[in-house]
Amino acid sequence: MKKLWLYLHFPNLQLDCLPSEQSQVPTIVLDGKRNQTTQCNSLAYEQGVQLGMGLGTASALVSNLQVIPYNPDIENNKINEIADSLYQLTSDINLQTPNGILLRCHNMLAFYGGLSAYWQAIQENLKQLDVQYQFATGATPFAAKLLAKTQFNHVTDDAKQLKNALLQRPLEQTELAFKTVEKLKRVGIRKVAELAKIPLSDIAKRFDIDLVTYMGRMLGELHHNVRFYHPEKKFNRRIELLYEIDNTEVLIHPLKHLLSGLEHFLKIRDQLTEKLIISLQQREQATLTFDLEAAQGEYQAQQWQSLLRLKLETITLLAPVYAISLQTGATFIRTPDKQDLFAAKQGALSEAQFISQLQAKLGNDNVRSLLLNNDFRPELSSAYGSAHAQAHSVAVLQKDRPALLLSTPEVLTEQVTINSGPERISFGWWDAHPVLRDYFIARTQTGRWYWVYRDQQQRWFLHGVFS
Amino acid sequence: MNNILDYLKNKQLVWQGNHNNNVLAAQSSGYPELDAHLEGGLPEQGMLDIHSDTGIGELRLFLPYLLQRQIQQQRLMVIIAPPLQINSEMLAEAGFALERILVIQPDSAQDALWAAEQCLKSGCCHSVLSWQNELEIHQVKRLQLAAKQGNSLHFVFRNQQNNSLSLPVTMSLQLAPSHEGISIKINKRIGSWNNNKVTLNMRQHWPVLTQPETQATYADNLIPFPNRRVS
Repeated sequence: MKKLWLYLHFPNLQLDCLPSEQSQVPTIVLDGKRNQTTQCNSLAYEQGVQLGMGLGTASALVSNLQVIPYNPDIENNKINEIADSLYQLTSDINLQTPNGILLRCHNMLAFYGGLSAYWQAIQENLKQLDVQYQFATGATPFAAKLLAKTQFNHVTDDAKQLKNALLQRPLEQTELAFKTVEKLKRVGIRKVAELAKIPLSDIAKRFDIDLVTYMGRMLGELHHNVRFYHPEKKFNRRIELLYEIDNTEVLIHPLKHLLSGLEHFLKIRDQLTEKLIISLQQREQATLTFDLEAAQGEYQAQQWQSLLRLKLETITLLAPVYAISLQTGATFIRTPDKQDLFAAKQGALSEAQFISQLQAKLGNDNVRSLLLNNDFRPELSSAYGSAHAQAHSVAVLQKDRPALLLSTPEVLTEQVTINSGPERISFGWWDAHPVLRDYFIARTQTGRWYWVYRDQQQRWFLHGVFS
Repeated sequence: MNNILDYLKNKQLVWQGNHNNNVLAAQSSGYPELDAHLEGGLPEQGMLDIHSDTGIGELRLFLPYLLQRQIQQQRLMVIIAPPLQINSEMLAEAGFALERILVIQPDSAQDALWAAEQCLKSGCCHSVLSWQNELEIHQVKRLQLAAKQGNSLHFVFRNQQNNSLSLPVTMSLQLAPSHEGISIKINKRIGSWNNNKVTLNMRQHWPVLTQPETQATYADNLIPFPNRRVS
């Protein structure tokens, strides 16, 4: 099989990450360390700004210039996002950070039935991502990269045409070090073609090994190993806000974008998650991280959004938020719910969804289930547990117990008449909480029924109310 | 003449004294005497307003009905803001499946109302029990709508003092202690009007929580003779 590689070069990646309103203003991305313009939008270009210009020159040319500091993290995030969406179309992707993607296409052509169909699918996808790109095919990764960076912008598998185009490229535009290019110039070699004429063994005699490997790989004489991209197992995305937000209600809008990204991520993997971890980065304050839990696995942005809205109501921001990140907890494969077809369903919510909604608003500690323990001490036999805890069955259930218990018994202050009893509970002499009590059922003057006990010191306590 | 009357009746423009159109869908409360008094039983959905002191058997009275609902409907029962801790042993002993019961302890009365509304309208709960002293008309209307939407029944336990306002509830009962059991007065019931008091004898249901009649000071139907002599 003839080898073919496709290289995509994104010259304005950081500008593409900005919202579309930004294209109305001349904007440049400035590498502060080198004081060089690395990216500029079309408005700035029309007014004379060129790549490589310093800040002083650029701002002298354009009065209302917007300058954005270069941030490799943003490009890195975006390139991963692009690779992630291309992964749906093509299997072998190599990331050429910070702003290129290399695709191995020869093994995909049988599937798509030709290069043009393949390229159309890729183009459709890139259109949705709304990024600027240059592209080219090549017989080797380096050839494709050189052609793409020099705006060849053709997708073809015609080896002759590709070879010709490659040989025309000047050496300045290759990946070679500046020093090597200068050396080659001095001996009269300016184009790839001139260098390609010389056998590799001869080059090796006079120049360093980097040039030999580069040329060998570009011309396909040496093997070129590339590492392919594997999509992440977990969703982990971060967005920088354009302006700081100090209101939790407004915060829901940028989070919506993240959630729809999450929905897409989980949907194509047919996965669900029960937990989202959201971090809000606050200016001059510690990052606020909270978990959002759903009782049953969810992927839909709509469901998460309603939970999130409830959760945000309970959160107070200490300072304005400038960035948000969203991660998933464990994910698992979706299995369809088994529901009774004939049982009438009243609402749109399932029981687990309903419980997670309550938990999101009221807090996990305020939604409890009832538990039983194998213990004769009333304060230990009955307990609250977390909302999904299952009560164990207990060997003996005592009769005539009150419906309401005081969490700690109180000294009896009311006058009561004893109706039945005593029932002695002597338990726990082997652990730290021994109990020896005589319980009585008593009635107050106003007709309430109390569960009272007398301890060994003949003191009387109220422990429960027969509601 | 008759035609006109029929026509007006069909249009529901004439109201008649024996008009009993919107009879409640009712289910047996588990006590035949009470069912007879309530002309059928307790409502299947809506809001049941219970004026009662805590500890006179107000919860025990409804346990048979709640148990029956739990067995029939397989949905959750939610208890919101109980005045004390709920004793799971007692409910388990009464036959309830504890995993079908949730207890919610909200931080504020506002949260309690929110939780009650969510539970009612979710369709996941057959009954919601809440202890809520302050209720306003618009809140009740909203909860009623939610209960209708989720086909759920809301038991609201309130102290007897807050009795002045007439709220748009499905049924309002006033409970009072009695030596033999509990006495029930119907304050309000949609579809009928019966203001009599009924005293349920609970001797066979809760033998240890009743007192023999001999200790009672007066029976319900006796009026004490005035001590002071009138000259």
